[in-house]
Amino acid sequence: MFERFTTPARESVVQAQGAARRLGDDHIGVEHLLLGLLAEEGSVAASALSEFGVTTEGVKRELAARRGPARLGPAEAEALETIGIDLEAIRRRVEESFGTGALDRGAARRSGHLPFTKQAKKALELGVREAVALRHDSIGSEHILLGLVRAADEPAAGVLRALQAPPEAVRATLLAKLRRAS
Amino acid sequence: MTDATELAKAVDSTDPSVGLRAVAALRQLLEQLEALQVENARTHRWSWQEIAAVLGVSRQAVHKKYAGRLRGR
Repeated sequence: MFERFTTPARESVVQAQGAARRLGDDHIGVEHLLLGLLAEEGSVAASALSEFGVTTEGVKRELAARRGPARLGPAEAEALETIGIDLEAIRRRVEESFGTGALDRGAARRSGHLPFTKQAKKALELGVREAVALRHDSIGSEHILLGLVRAADEPAAGVLRALQAPPEAVRATLLAKLRRAS
Repeated sequence: MTDATELAKAVDSTDPSVGLRAVAALRQLLEQLEALQVENARTHRWSWQEIAAVLGVSRQAVHKKYAGRLRGR
């Protein structure tokens, strides 16, 4: 699928995988594709997103607000204590059997290639179709963004809306811009 | 304050944010314990079917969740 991708487009997919990994996720979702596009500074997609005020920091902040704790820290220990669960006692027991740091290893990062979620795959496929519809020869970051906003599921869609960049509006603005340019 | 009264107070608490945070942390704890135990079972050459049966979920569910994660370790 990636043969006709421009370098920034291809790079954004690589960046998406990095973003997923850093967030401790085991799939590449639409939200990671969005972070990947933003990482390719100066690309058509990144510029379009920045016109809407969408930044990497903003997306990360909104994502963090939508997900639970990634690891069991002091805050979680305190929360568990309120329902009578002693996290330290559990940690000790687990470490007795499985060694130091065993409990946190359960949250360890996944290695190798991460698979795409169904919607992320769809976003890329729609991106290819957008390029075809616009009669463009190669698939650039802008086409991926067009596909992305069409296939955006949660949390990506909610994140974009929260950042005042509703998927439909991003699509309309970017399409108008591309049509003007051609 | 004793642990028992501390606990009673917490159970008594009707503040949703306290209760919800506890549930979220419990879910995280569950996920980490599950990952650890599944990994251990695979190390002991348990089949996905055997693991799934004890966990009370389908073989597909446990395979989908952990097969990729444990590969390459």
